[in-house]
Amino acid sequence: MKFSAPRETILKTLQTVVGVVERRQTMPILSNVLLSVQGNKLSVSATDLEVEMVAEAEVEAEAGGDITVPGRKLHDIFRALPEGTNVEISQTGDRVTVKGGRSRFTLSTLRAADFPTIDEIGAKQTLRLTRADLRQLVEKTHFSMAQQDVRYYLNGLLLETERKRLRAVATDGHRLALSEADLIGAATRDEQLIVPRKGVLELSKLLDGDGEVQLALGANHIRVHLDGIRLTSKLIDGRFPEYGRVVPAQPRNVMKADRNLLRQALQRTAILSNEKYRGVRLELTTNSVVLQANNPEQEEAVETLEVEYSGDPMEIGFNVNYVLDALAAVDSDQVEVGISDANSGCVIREPGSDKTKFVVMPMRL
Amino acid sequence: MSNREWPRTIVHADMDAFYASIEQLDDPTLRGRPLLVGPNSARGVVLTASYEARPFGVGSAMPMQRARRLCPQALIVPPRFERYMEVSKQVMDAFGTFSPQVEPLSLDEAFLDMTGSERLFGPPAAIGERIKAAIREATGGLTASVGISDTRYVAKVASGYRKPDGLTIVPPEDARAWLAPLAVENLWGAGAKTSKRLREAGYQTIGQIACADPKSLSRIFGAIGERFFAIANAIDPRTVATTHSTRSLGSERTLATDVSSPRELRLYLRVAAETVAQRLRRRGLVASGVRIKLKRADFQILTRQDGLTAATDVSAVLATKATELLDHVKDPGPFRLVGLAAFDLAHASADSQLSLLPTAGKRDRGLETTIDALEQRFGAGIVQRGGEAFGDRGVGIPTNLDFLDMDD
Repeated sequence: MKFSAPRETILKTLQTVVGVVERRQTMPILSNVLLSVQGNKLSVSATDLEVEMVAEAEVEAEAGGDITVPGRKLHDIFRALPEGTNVEISQTGDRVTVKGGRSRFTLSTLRAADFPTIDEIGAKQTLRLTRADLRQLVEKTHFSMAQQDVRYYLNGLLLETERKRLRAVATDGHRLALSEADLIGAATRDEQLIVPRKGVLELSKLLDGDGEVQLALGANHIRVHLDGIRLTSKLIDGRFPEYGRVVPAQPRNVMKADRNLLRQALQRTAILSNEKYRGVRLELTTNSVVLQANNPEQEEAVETLEVEYSGDPMEIGFNVNYVLDALAAVDSDQVEVGISDANSGCVIREPGSDKTKFVVMPMRL
Repeated sequence: MSNREWPRTIVHADMDAFYASIEQLDDPTLRGRPLLVGPNSARGVVLTASYEARPFGVGSAMPMQRARRLCPQALIVPPRFERYMEVSKQVMDAFGTFSPQVEPLSLDEAFLDMTGSERLFGPPAAIGERIKAAIREATGGLTASVGISDTRYVAKVASGYRKPDGLTIVPPEDARAWLAPLAVENLWGAGAKTSKRLREAGYQTIGQIACADPKSLSRIFGAIGERFFAIANAIDPRTVATTHSTRSLGSERTLATDVSSPRELRLYLRVAAETVAQRLRRRGLVASGVRIKLKRADFQILTRQDGLTAATDVSAVLATKATELLDHVKDPGPFRLVGLAAFDLAHASADSQLSLLPTAGKRDRGLETTIDALEQRFGAGIVQRGGEAFGDRGVGIPTNLDFLDMDD
């Protein structure tokens, strides 16, 4: 193998895949990236056996071939090379040499044949949607995914098709986020799949810009095609909880507030909440909410905010982090908080919109 | 002694050569003789050396073989942890009569917050004498060294200042000057490596650290550099914790024969999880983290730990996490000891976050509390899991060795 390209061209592919390169040394080859050159096309692959990322670039190739080299080291080298350097990568025996300007690096290799790749996912259907819509689905929900929960099916994002729509749902058991977008065309059959956390986080890094995205759905994998990049993730084999039951359809009381004012007030109040449990109390009366927090040192924060509220007077407590996460993900200036009682989940959303919703369970304070 | 009231009165009490002293207490023929407590095997280490052995340069954590070379006349006594736990409980109970705020750091040392108790127990020197007398009485003759100051750090250094049977009082206004001549090895958090780096950077005494530029300390040593500066100036805002926040509750057991089969290890972990969960429930605590501990045949200890998404007191949840942690252990064993600890403990009532979904372990908790009740009525062991009672190589009811309240 021998090819050359400007530093930036190759760096971009490495930046795309390096997040997937295994940090833990379970299998030595997983800390390597696979370089494949065919014609004038370079593809760089990384995998942790759960998520595989392939990025392509045009290069000037003298000889094709496949080889694997240490991924983080190669990425660090390209990052450190001066801008605009033309870099040549060539293989001699079991070594790969990177030459750029007056620098030369000789890297160890492992056989490309030993690099685990996911070739065919047996896609049953392929969904199409805009990048912006997929970005919305991921951005509005990913923070509600569980992390290393024993309920393994929560450590990921549910994607669900409903004819012309795609819905994303994430929950850690305390809060839930749901967002919907229209597909281009329609799903040929409705299905549910759970993309693991790591796949979702890698996907979220790829979604800037415009254009179209294709999601190929296999029995055990999802494969996302964006221009020049292919992300494949294993799916979590499990049943996602029936989330529909926990989203209150008609909350008894509704508070409307300026989203930013509410956010800032909560952030201030949170300073003196218990660092671990983060409890903040909301006392709702007509057109007013009093936010209150205190910590084990008996320090206290109180703030009053004017809101639109004509429901029952009520006291309810929340983990303020959950509420702040939701408020940060609402786009509109105004926000609507639907509350039934102090023991039921509240619904936070853009007033009148059902596209994206957040449910937060209260705390007993 | 100054008459001014101290802002806080913090006592650190540390038992003198705890394990060795207990052996000498229980067996009068051992008194006055150099003694090494620890497994007498090729790879064992000294757990405690009696004061008679220490002039030979023998100390805790030293390989037993080396200790025997240094002090060939020493008697080697295998440890009896059940007995040490029993005495530890006597000591901790004695502390409890002085203050409701007792934070055990290990079996043989604890902090007591005695702020405002001068009227009850007298000035600090009198408090110290009373605590020492109470320990002697509760244990039948063991001694402790006690340090008293207004910060945890200074109290801890003071208790080690004169050992054994020491009492060192450092009034708040003298604390900085008292620390100044001490060597940097006395800084909390400075092990052998860091101390060496401190010395290489030109700092020999705590006083030199106290006068140093905190920025340059943090540049060289990172976040801990700033802490060194603070404690060298006798500033330590940490109070005596009674919230259990840094403590853990565990159960471990040394196996009759070394085990390497993952299936058997899982079984032992599950039994340990049951013991730990029951103790959590009995104390009204929930844990947010699980740690497993495996000791290899060569005594090397492996631990793996991880947090839980929701605090729990359910053995099924602890056991699931422990099994997951076991999968991360690549060492094939064999292992001579298996243990599980629950850490990041809090009072059960504190976690009042309601759940959207049925909580993990809710069903198991029902089962487990029912077993608790049955055992209370009919005695421990009345209920066993099928696999234990009838299965091949069941592990039965363990006579567990517990690592209570370990230092994190």
